[in-house]
Amino acid sequence: MSSRKKILLKVIILGDSGVGKTSLMNQYVNKKFTASYKATIGADFLTKEVLVDDRLVTMQLWDTAGQERFQSLGVAFYRGADCCVLVYDVNNAKSFDTLDSWRDEFLIQASPMDPESFPFVVLGNKVDVGEDKRVISSKRAMAFCQGKGGIPYFETSAKEAVNVEQAFEVIARNALAQEESQDFNPEFPETIPINIGEQNQGCSC
Amino acid sequence: MPTTPSARGDGPSQAPPSPPSPTASFYDMSDAEEGEYSTVRHTKSGKGVKLLYAKSKVYVHPTASARDNIPGWIAIIQQKPRQNSVSSTSSRGRSASLSSLLLAWVLESNLGDASDIYTKVELSDSGQPPKQSYLVPAPPITTTHSSSLGTYSFSVPLSDIFSILVRPPNTGWWFGSIVINTRAGDSFPALFFHDNECASTDAQRKRLQRENFSISSEDGKGMFWGGDEIVRWLKKYVEVERSAQEPSVYLIDPSESDKLGFGSGGKPTPDKVKNVLEGKHKDEPAQKGKTPEGDPVMQALKQARWSFLEKMSQVTTFTRRTAQAVAENKNLPPQVRRLMQNPQVQTVSDEFDSARLYLARWAMGIAEQSERERNQRIWTAKDVLEMEETGVGEFELLDLEAGGMSLADRRKPVTLKEWKSFFNTNSGKLEKTADEVKERIFHGGLNPDDGVRKEAWLFLLGVYEWESNKEERHAKMNSLRDEYIRLKGAWWERMVDEQGTLEEREWWKEQKTRIEKDVHRTDRHIPLFAGEDIPHPDPDSPFAESGTNVHLEQMKDMLLTYNEYNRDLGYVQGMSDLLAPIYAIEQDDAVAFWGFVKFMERMERNFLRDQSGMRLQLTTLDQLCQLLDPELYEHLRKLDSTNFFFFFRMLLVWYKREFSFPDILRLYEGLWTDYLSANLHLFVAMAILEKHRAVILEHLRGFDEVLKYVNELSGTIDLESTLAGAEKLFRRFQRTVEAIDRKSSFPAAPAVRQRLPQPPPTSPGADGKPRRFSQAAAASPSNPRPGSSTGVAGAASTSGRDRTVGDHVAAGIGAERENERVVSPELRALLSREVPKLEKKEVREHGGGVGS
Repeated sequence: MSSRKKILLKVIILGDSGVGKTSLMNQYVNKKFTASYKATIGADFLTKEVLVDDRLVTMQLWDTAGQERFQSLGVAFYRGADCCVLVYDVNNAKSFDTLDSWRDEFLIQASPMDPESFPFVVLGNKVDVGEDKRVISSKRAMAFCQGKGGIPYFETSAKEAVNVEQAFEVIARNALAQEESQDFNPEFPETIPINIGEQNQGCSC
Repeated sequence: MPTTPSARGDGPSQAPPSPPSPTASFYDMSDAEEGEYSTVRHTKSGKGVKLLYAKSKVYVHPTASARDNIPGWIAIIQQKPRQNSVSSTSSRGRSASLSSLLLAWVLESNLGDASDIYTKVELSDSGQPPKQSYLVPAPPITTTHSSSLGTYSFSVPLSDIFSILVRPPNTGWWFGSIVINTRAGDSFPALFFHDNECASTDAQRKRLQRENFSISSEDGKGMFWGGDEIVRWLKKYVEVERSAQEPSVYLIDPSESDKLGFGSGGKPTPDKVKNVLEGKHKDEPAQKGKTPEGDPVMQALKQARWSFLEKMSQVTTFTRRTAQAVAENKNLPPQVRRLMQNPQVQTVSDEFDSARLYLARWAMGIAEQSERERNQRIWTAKDVLEMEETGVGEFELLDLEAGGMSLADRRKPVTLKEWKSFFNTNSGKLEKTADEVKERIFHGGLNPDDGVRKEAWLFLLGVYEWESNKEERHAKMNSLRDEYIRLKGAWWERMVDEQGTLEEREWWKEQKTRIEKDVHRTDRHIPLFAGEDIPHPDPDSPFAESGTNVHLEQMKDMLLTYNEYNRDLGYVQGMSDLLAPIYAIEQDDAVAFWGFVKFMERMERNFLRDQSGMRLQLTTLDQLCQLLDPELYEHLRKLDSTNFFFFFRMLLVWYKREFSFPDILRLYEGLWTDYLSANLHLFVAMAILEKHRAVILEHLRGFDEVLKYVNELSGTIDLESTLAGAEKLFRRFQRTVEAIDRKSSFPAAPAVRQRLPQPPPTSPGADGKPRRFSQAAAASPSNPRPGSSTGVAGAASTSGRDRTVGDHVAAGIGAERENERVVSPELRALLSREVPKLEKKEVREHGGGVGS
């Protein structure tokens, strides 16, 4: 084998507006939480380099606007995704109810090779808020995940950094497995942007 | 002590700031000696002028033939200061000394008896002015160089010299030369240093060789030559600053604005940034270039380079760890293993990309920062002209003095006083034209501190008619207040009574939650929205614990009222961003609401469920980029970035997330004027792209990198220069379309030309395009746009890809094929000042609210 190329794992984070997608991502990458994130408009991503089983991988975490009407623009980012993270707010029933449609929408737009085996991870966020406010029980959420072919499920708090690291470790591992399974398929186009030298004549820095 | 400034004011130039002091020996001359020399204007009354420095074998080359070369001497001479005051001997005001110092070129053949003195001065200890006064006949003083080239000797007061252009020699190719440019704008003929014939240069080279074993100039760059000496000597008497932009230019006694325009304080050009990125000195490839220590840009870039290196070293150790595992694999060939163990290789191949990008962004951030700082000053025409030359190529600046106001005045914010002066004091009717007022606001903005925005914004937004009088406005506002209360009551009842279908109730509940969430995260850093001093009215709200404040509650009410007012669309994320500035200015919910309603009339298309309005604007931006910057467009195309999605956020909420709150107020009032175009925000996008085109072209290599780069521009963009850039781009766009239209409306012209006998084209024409189309055009001269003729298809096939507007422009406006291309309706719409608004029907169909 040739030396290993740099591995880029593309992870898409989806879920209703205000469930804490941006916060989770920032807690994981920057170890920071602030209550003053603005509503995400358009799309953005953060990258983080991690070791998965002694392999260095770069995770590219894509954060998009939560309001459903902005999702039609997501197609461009969904392509080539290695893992999809579905986030809901345990204190908001609606955000849990829409998980299914987020998942469907993703599968349609990203059209992965094998939708059945494509890795999803579900995060129930804002567990710090307090039991009295909580409307979706762990049991219910786990039942949903079981029903979708055993999606890994984590209950997180981006605010208090609960379970965030653990969840993303699984996300990274599953994304890497997905990425490697694709490598065997020559028909599937390379998803990592390849730097073609011809774009830049002159200096070859 | 030389203190009194009485000698000032007689020179033709302003007092220079503080040139480096002449050496002590310069002042060592006794008063007795001082009295004995004269001024060049009064040569007959005195004994001559002092020769401070002279160098032989400096030629003028009047023709291409070396036989015509005229040898002469270059000299620095001192004439008696021109004022009559007796204090002249003790007080040497700077300007006096500058106008009494002359840079001269004297014909060798004209020297006569003085040639001995010139030779003596040349060969005297070259480091310092001669202790003894050498008096020589005064050469003719002049400040302009007129027609007769090189015939006469000349001497120019240092105070009249603007700059000296220095071109070092290239052995075997050309002699080093200098050109003197005067403040009046004249240039003297180039003076060539024939160093091989020059006794003093030869002597100095020998000395350098003796002392340093090299004949390089002192700073080690290039061979020592005569021009170095001139610059070095001038520096003894006057401030000489090398231009950072044009390293061959040395500014003489530069003023602050000269420095800004050309000097080291100039803005970091893409070239400079690039040089720094590549680890070169910013002035390369030019030699010398001592960086002034105080140059903040250079300092910052140095720091950036430093932190870049630091980052690199971290990356290296990190990578090394993982590389280790691979390197220890026994199956690897030894040479590969060695390679793997060398962390440098790893670093460069794997990690350079991200580090490179990081530094590029850093450097551009600094460029913007320095631009912002410079813009604290009043705008001058020169600032604008300087901008004109960068980025997007050359084009003339139009109507600099339009409306009798200077550009600087037009860039001053409109104050409440000026605003009130626009209106008749009795009737309250506007006495200027609306366009005049809009032009003022577009260029100057409104004063942020005196409250003028509160009223002016209502005109700009269209709540008030420009033609209205005081009473009409009063009546209008009263009925609007009533209507606001009615609308507010309507949704309130809806909430309380749970009216409507289940679907409607669900929608309302959802919208309420959405609004609440968004208001609590909109502009909370603004003091107005910051506090949480009252308990939340709804104990079930997710924000019940954190509390709220009265302005947040007003925001929620206004947005819910809008949700009621425009049920076909409803509240959509991003709207709270658009309302906040209006509310912050008006601080009255009813007034702000109607301002927002008016703003939303033009912004509605951004929020449709099917995103058609956003797509249209992104497509238009795509076409605009093709037209205005085909090279950049081509690059973005290669990066799969021509969906221009990376401008989505900027277009959706009009740069709300990119600029500071105060800047947003200024930007919005400018855009609301529709002074140039109702779609100027797209030119703002282009202006931002243009600012960063160098980095994009050089460093960005994928859609994700472009998106990240553009997203992270947030908070770094300088507004004033961006607005000026947008205006400039608009005008260029306008001229381009006009040029295309002119072409299209005279179809006969190319046809007539083509009737001239032409050799049959065996290959594409000289311009690289086949001529077939022109013939087709000639065959149907009545058709101004023979887009359907077969010739077009033939012409099109020469291009490997679909023809684009960009090709169109790249092909040159003068090309015959011009006629076939059409300015797209999307682009043509940009010329309109009419605000694009949606039909109610469209909103109903595509809005995604409960009305649909």
